[in-house]
Amino acid sequence: MKRTCDNWRDKLPAGTFDSHLYEEFELRAKNISAEVFRVKRADEAREIILDIVKKTGARSVAVVPCPLIKASGILDALKDNGVAVHTEQADIAEHIPIVDIGMSGVEFGIAECGSVCQNAVAIESRLVSSLPPLHIAFMKSRNIVPGIEDAVGIMSEFFTEGYISWITGPSRTADIERVLAIGVHGPSRVVIFAVDDEEVA
Amino acid sequence: MEAKKRNIKKEIQEKLDDEVLRGALTRFAREYPLAREKALANVEDVEALRESLRDIKRDTVAHIEEVADTFEAEAVKRGVKVFRAANGAELRNYILNLCRERGVKRVVKSKSMASEEVDLNPDLKEAGIRVKETDLGEWIIAIPGHKPSHMVLPAIHLNRYQVADYFSKELDKDIPPEIPLMVQTARVNLREEFLQADMGITGANIGIAENGAICLVTNEGNGRLVASLPPIHVVIIGYEKLIPTIKDAVPILRLLPRGATGQLMTSYMSMIAGPTPVMVKTDGAWVEKQKEIHYILLDNGRLDAAHDDRLKEIYQCVRCASCLNVCPIYTLVGGHVYGGHTYAGGIGAILTAFLSGMGEFEQFNELCIGCRRCTTVCPGKIDIPGLIEELRQRSVKEHGLPFVMDKIFSVMTKRRLFHSLLRAASVAQKPFTSEGLVRHLPLFLAGMTKDRSLPSIAKVPLRDRVDDVIKKIEKPVKRVGFFSGCTMDFVFPETGENVIKVIQDLNMEVVYPDGQGCCGKPVSATGDVEHTKKLAMNNIRAFEDLHVDVIICACPTGVEQIRDYPHLFEDDPEWKVRAKSMADKMEEFCSFVAREYERAGRLKKADKKADAIKVTYHDSCHLKRVLGIYEEPRKLIESVESYELVEMKDADKCCGMSGAFGVQHSNLSIPILKQKMDNIENTGAGVVACACSGCMVQLQGGIDQQTPGKKMKHVADILAENIRD
Repeated sequence: MKRTCDNWRDKLPAGTFDSHLYEEFELRAKNISAEVFRVKRADEAREIILDIVKKTGARSVAVVPCPLIKASGILDALKDNGVAVHTEQADIAEHIPIVDIGMSGVEFGIAECGSVCQNAVAIESRLVSSLPPLHIAFMKSRNIVPGIEDAVGIMSEFFTEGYISWITGPSRTADIERVLAIGVHGPSRVVIFAVDDEEVA
Repeated sequence: MEAKKRNIKKEIQEKLDDEVLRGALTRFAREYPLAREKALANVEDVEALRESLRDIKRDTVAHIEEVADTFEAEAVKRGVKVFRAANGAELRNYILNLCRERGVKRVVKSKSMASEEVDLNPDLKEAGIRVKETDLGEWIIAIPGHKPSHMVLPAIHLNRYQVADYFSKELDKDIPPEIPLMVQTARVNLREEFLQADMGITGANIGIAENGAICLVTNEGNGRLVASLPPIHVVIIGYEKLIPTIKDAVPILRLLPRGATGQLMTSYMSMIAGPTPVMVKTDGAWVEKQKEIHYILLDNGRLDAAHDDRLKEIYQCVRCASCLNVCPIYTLVGGHVYGGHTYAGGIGAILTAFLSGMGEFEQFNELCIGCRRCTTVCPGKIDIPGLIEELRQRSVKEHGLPFVMDKIFSVMTKRRLFHSLLRAASVAQKPFTSEGLVRHLPLFLAGMTKDRSLPSIAKVPLRDRVDDVIKKIEKPVKRVGFFSGCTMDFVFPETGENVIKVIQDLNMEVVYPDGQGCCGKPVSATGDVEHTKKLAMNNIRAFEDLHVDVIICACPTGVEQIRDYPHLFEDDPEWKVRAKSMADKMEEFCSFVAREYERAGRLKKADKKADAIKVTYHDSCHLKRVLGIYEEPRKLIESVESYELVEMKDADKCCGMSGAFGVQHSNLSIPILKQKMDNIENTGAGVVACACSGCMVQLQGGIDQQTPGKKMKHVADILAENIRD
């Protein structure tokens, strides 16, 4: 898979985890209807996802695997539950129009506005986060920058070419009578797992 | 380009009668300022952020060619094909050729106002290409063929029932008027369009020179799909969207969503630099290949604007539309009366002048009331009303004034003749009003209108009363020249007397030169510089040999106009010096008196009498937003024991007068006044105070017609009541 930058983590500010920053991020993300779960270990996401699958009746998932997703063991769990899992590029391209859930990693969150930043140069990472009605994103809970200025600052250091997406809650419109409607062309639900575990690379 | 002659009065009336539009805009006008304020709550210094956006854009436009060259070179280096289109025809031809060469049959578009500006879609359709707008609002208005009525909310003029009708027509089945269901219907229908398209066309919110990237700031997710799914991506971007570095995007990304929709960030912000992979199905198998990207850098008048000293300010526009959302005129009539162009509102008038020609501009530029509310919210700090006035001046310079106005203004510059006409009007108000010419004269000759009576000309103007009021002051601390302005002179002479009393009470000597006349604002507002100069010279002569320490005016427009006199004489060094000498002495009444009261220890809040009268204060647009005076009048009122100040909602929102506007466009002025009167009524105050004679005309008219029990007072009237003769 093509990536804009292979060592994002090096670009994030050093230092210890700032729980206030995380809390602000979570609050802002929830304010714009993202569903946020903070978990100590990636595998804690497994039960929550299986529950979502059950409640939504999802039958297929397209996944761009990242270390956190692999550590969660969710792919095997989904297969065990009879859910079709697509992880190969061509497979994703073929099935993405009818897939129920897309899943990918994201690089970091922005506390100021509750956004997550996705390295989206690989086409499959855009497909899984823009076409299915539900997008599940995995990130490290410590990878939060305070503001838009910090996020742009990081990008200005390494972003020479490629595709970066900031995703801020579900797709929305207010084009009819200024009434908010969720899920126009993109996902109507965005679920974020913020994982504390530092062991996963 | 010659514009088609429109009946703008009729168009305005149609919009005023459109209940759907009025309801939507009224709600929007009420809710928008709150949403914006909430979104800015976690920005530590909004002003500094606005200034940084302005400065970045200003620096960029100063060497726009250089920035554009870098942008192009960096994009090309990454594999983007860049085409510079001088105008709409070149842009359309480029895309048509590209479609032909690549065998493009289906095109999906996410929002691109530039593509609407150059009317791209009809050419594509004529060439047999299927074109679909995918932004929900744009898709909706494309069905009946409407132009957007708002830059961010293109379908704000429609309600759910109308939208459902269009949906039903387009999809040939019955769609009920339920918003979530309609949104899902659009999703399902447009999904196929995305997946099958051969080409995607987007606009761009930002173009970054250092890495040749573009940014797309969107909410629905269509932008990402249009930029990701088809194998060819065409970006239409105007020069004004360019910035030098990635970091320069910070103030735009922080202010654009907050100002446009009250969001901290839109759902999607994509930064794209160079071609990225795309999936293509060949012989039944999916393979990855590199996407083809084209940037079309659109000029269409923009580069001329960049080299225009005043109008290069339009580069500071990020198309958030916050100026429309607070505009008292836009929020009454919506965007279509601004010529049915892509860009609506005051900023739209300016952009249209450049992109569609002055002919279009001349037809609706007067829809700017000059209240300057937009300047308080614009992320790029554009002086929209100032630019409109500048364009009016150019238009008058080029085409002259309409004959009638030219005649009237020439009368106004002959002070004695003008004043004798005004005196005659006080005797014969009715006959004057019936003549066609008269509605262009200063407003007080226009007589009665519905829902507002315009005040009559006083029997004895201030100029004939001053000798009875002006006292000899023993050892005056200052010698004060009093410039009254026409309205105070001929309509509110009692207020003029009270101004004199308040100044004399400060142990100052008042001088009222008889040679003074119109300040020139009604004339300069139309763009007529030559007649304005004559009026200015008249006033400069009247005051220059009086040896006064300061010149007082109790009307903000007069203060502003006279302070601006030196700019009228940029080519005339002698008169420039004389103008500056007058301008430097000019002081606004409330701020002057407040300072003197402060010095004398009189500016403290008084212990209110038990029967103190409730008074509410209306901020004149120009007093607050041009002169920055809004605390002083309130403190002055609070210093009087017989009055108790109560604030009204939107105290600083325009009353709808704005000089001749209120008379020329009474159908717009009256609804604005009505909102003001409702806000006044809700305070329960018996007295309305303000410190501007123009507003007094309007508010007095509103009181007479709508709430006859109330009284209108200038701050000077209130202060004078407390002074014993």
